[in-house]
Amino acid sequence: MSGDLERRLADLVAAVSDGEISAEEALAGEHSLSALGLTSLAWIRLVDAIEDAFGVDVDLGGDLSAFDRVDALAAHVSDLLDTR
Amino acid sequence: MTTPATTPMTTPATAPATASVPFSGTRGGEAPLTWGQRLMWRAVHLMGPSQSFLNCPWVLPVHGRRDLATVLAALRRMLERHESLRTTFADTPHGPVQRVARGGELTVELAVTGPEGPLATAERIAAELGTTVFAHGEDLPLRCVVVLADGRPRALAFVFSHLAVDFQALSLLSAEWRALLRGDDLPPPEWQPMEQAALEREEPFLRRSRRSVRYWRSVLETVPLEVFDHPPGEPEEPRFIEVGMESVALAAAAVRQAERLTISTTSVVMAACATVLAVVSGRPRAVMQLVHSNRRDPRTRPLVATVGQDGLLVLDLPGTGFADTCLAAHRSALMAYRNAHYDPFEMQAMRAEIGRVRGREPDLDAFFNDRRGDGTWPNLPRLAPGEDLTPLTARTRTYVTNAWPGVRFKVFFTLGTDPGTGRLSLIVDTAYLPRETARAMLLGVETLLVRGLTEDVPLAAVRDLVRAHGEIRGAKGLGPDR
Repeated sequence: MSGDLERRLADLVAAVSDGEISAEEALAGEHSLSALGLTSLAWIRLVDAIEDAFGVDVDLGGDLSAFDRVDALAAHVSDLLDTR
Repeated sequence: MTTPATTPMTTPATAPATASVPFSGTRGGEAPLTWGQRLMWRAVHLMGPSQSFLNCPWVLPVHGRRDLATVLAALRRMLERHESLRTTFADTPHGPVQRVARGGELTVELAVTGPEGPLATAERIAAELGTTVFAHGEDLPLRCVVVLADGRPRALAFVFSHLAVDFQALSLLSAEWRALLRGDDLPPPEWQPMEQAALEREEPFLRRSRRSVRYWRSVLETVPLEVFDHPPGEPEEPRFIEVGMESVALAAAAVRQAERLTISTTSVVMAACATVLAVVSGRPRAVMQLVHSNRRDPRTRPLVATVGQDGLLVLDLPGTGFADTCLAAHRSALMAYRNAHYDPFEMQAMRAEIGRVRGREPDLDAFFNDRRGDGTWPNLPRLAPGEDLTPLTARTRTYVTNAWPGVRFKVFFTLGTDPGTGRLSLIVDTAYLPRETARAMLLGVETLLVRGLTEDVPLAAVRDLVRAHGEIRGAKGLGPDR
């Protein structure tokens, strides 16, 4: 299941980066999303896209490290879905 | 074979030669303002006669050997494609509206190239065009002069109203210009400001606006009411001046630091500007508005319109060193961008409410704007890895570029679009920051960026280096005992 979520998130990363980062690169997790070239604007688009796709409210007040890898991001979104 | 839809006219030698560009788009209409337009609508009214500051001069080269009819036909298609370029604005009992004209006519002047060459002539004319305020209710939101050499059009000088375009939109116009000149078939834009205005009245946009307003409120509840603690002194006349700096060292240092920290050069330059502002204001926290392109929705990316809005950066200086400041600025900027998506009228209502509670609205007139569309300097001179950048600073020059009586800014940093060098400018309110302080701040940003590559520059040292570049008056945080 978490694999499905990671796949969807990786697709979102590819979409918000205008294809600069492929879903496969994001999924591989060898490099952080910023190291792969996720810009600030793309990052904000990603947060918007996650909110729209999953109907969750993403709070950026705390630790942002979850947003730099797809696996950590999947865990974070999964938590948000559970507490919704 | 083309029949020119445009009519060059011969006029007496005393009057400038003009040509007419009639246009006819696929539709006209009226709609509420978009959020981006609302921001600018408020700004042009706040600035009144100084709103020429908001005008956007721009130059388009004429590639290849084109005759005047071809160039005017390309201009006509540009106006027909982008509704923002044939829009006027009006106040109505239900609030301000945008009115898209389906058809109309733009009159362009024809000018002869000066000794400086067509592009430089166009740049000079564009700057001159920019000094006249638009009548937003009647005028088309652009003025254009065609620059000719040997009877052939070589460049177009424009000024656009900021109600019509932002710098991203101008980059989009540049990108499609070559195709328009060639007469290529381009797919019609699917998304225009009237569609955007409708979208912004629905979810999830309303939710995002509410969240942004909440974030700004949390900052405004506690932010100091003034940008500077020191009282205003005797200002220059005109009061607001823009000091510019051209520095390859700044750009090269920002690129190197950004690569090292895997963040954007925008964040790095912003961190340096915020640090210098904090030092000059004698505070450990910098609060600045960030002019943000805001093209986060895929539909707005190709939109020729004013989409940008302001984010609110709150940067607590870590006090350890410049690399940490850059990382903190990067994180704070993400928060700021995230909350830069709001209905400016809702935001203004909240700010007025804060003003009633706190006795007055906090002054947020410190800004940072990166005008580079893609955040890079593509033509920066190549340097060897690790090459010492200090010698490059000898080539840096500073100059006063502009002055206005009432643009209202206390501090406004702008990173310019020159692809080959770092162009950082600073508008200051000379009642608070004399021009030599502004110059010292710019050079301080450069020094901080260059030295920040090889050492952790503590805040006290930043104070010293800003002071080393110029006499600092007024700012209490810079006294010799601090």
